[in-house]
Amino acid sequence: MKIYTGTGDWGKTSLFSGERVSKGDRRIEACGAVDELNSLLGALVTGLAEKNPDLADRLQEIQTDLFQMGAILAITPDSPAMESLEEITAGQITELEQTIDQLDAQLPNLSGFILPGGHPTAVWAQISRSVCRRAERHVTRISDEYSEGKTTQQFQMALVYLNRLSDYLFVLARYCNHIQGVSDTLWKHK
Amino acid sequence: MEAQIKTYPTKLIDRQWLSNSTFEIKFSKPPSYIIIPGQRIQIYYQTMGRDYTPVSAPEDPEITFCIRKVDTGKFTPLLSSAEIGAQFEFSKPEGYFTFKPSRRPPIFVATGTGIAPFCSMVRSGVTGFTLLHGVDSLEDLYYQSELAAAANIYVPCISREYQTSTEHFRGRVTDYLQKHLPAASYDFYLCGRREMIRDVTWLVDKRFAGSLLYSELFY
Repeated sequence: MKIYTGTGDWGKTSLFSGERVSKGDRRIEACGAVDELNSLLGALVTGLAEKNPDLADRLQEIQTDLFQMGAILAITPDSPAMESLEEITAGQITELEQTIDQLDAQLPNLSGFILPGGHPTAVWAQISRSVCRRAERHVTRISDEYSEGKTTQQFQMALVYLNRLSDYLFVLARYCNHIQGVSDTLWKHK
Repeated sequence: MEAQIKTYPTKLIDRQWLSNSTFEIKFSKPPSYIIIPGQRIQIYYQTMGRDYTPVSAPEDPEITFCIRKVDTGKFTPLLSSAEIGAQFEFSKPEGYFTFKPSRRPPIFVATGTGIAPFCSMVRSGVTGFTLLHGVDSLEDLYYQSELAAAANIYVPCISREYQTSTEHFRGRVTDYLQKHLPAASYDFYLCGRREMIRDVTWLVDKRFAGSLLYSELFY
């Protein structure tokens, strides 16, 4: 089946909740940033799959979570469409925290700012982290527009998830260098 | 890392031809199989699988599909000739093209066998909608009386045949929407050919601002 419909040729698109919005709408910006992050995680999965399948598997679970988040971000607050979606749960965030703690426990203590770099997988993790922060900024903007209801609560959960995911990606970048025997490069004053 | 897709065994129970090219095909309902009207099911046979939306209601004892045979295709000729009693597999029901009541009037727009999800909705009690059914000729107006009884306004749109009565609109569904639907906000549900979905979507953006729009490609 052909994948194109042409319905979006004139700069509008449909949200999951049926609302027609401009492709420049803040919600589309937020979905786009999460989509970009997901693609970058795909690059990271490719880099890790062979030698570190456990890390790659965990990242694929996170990719699934980001799909779930994309659908939630494409909902008009208080639309009945929310009923047909799986909600982001506190459990998903706890799992992310456990993953962070597990990796972090194996790393040397951090004594300052580090420069992004090192092994290619660490670099992908750092790029992913910075895009994750951008996604978080976009979601913050749409979240600020609403204050009540289930969708708004889910936007809040998305914010917590992205905040935690950024931390995970930072720790993962360090971990990727660590397992390759690459030391952190600390930032120094000139 | 590949996940095994869960499937549900089913059996072909019956097939009835509705026209030269279109038939209804009935399958046994797998135990504890829960479906919402408007959701699709992937039907698997040997190594092939295709998505279809049932016309039956979830409460019905069997699951029925309305399928147009595409002679150049692979799967519909197989469905049109498989023996009664043959074993198939279903995926779990998927999709979100389900009826969501709201304050805005619902407008259902279908072309051809894209009528299927609306038929399933009507059979599970949905009423009070406007339904446009675009077909090439009168013989493609399946389930007409059932749908007309549940609809506030039912408009068969016949694009090719010349001899149409006053009950039928002569033209495409987009022509009807352009000429006869007052400019206001509605909930549009579109199911059918790509060109219809594209053209109606563009029209909604131009003429029916503030509407919601849900769509499903269907052949």
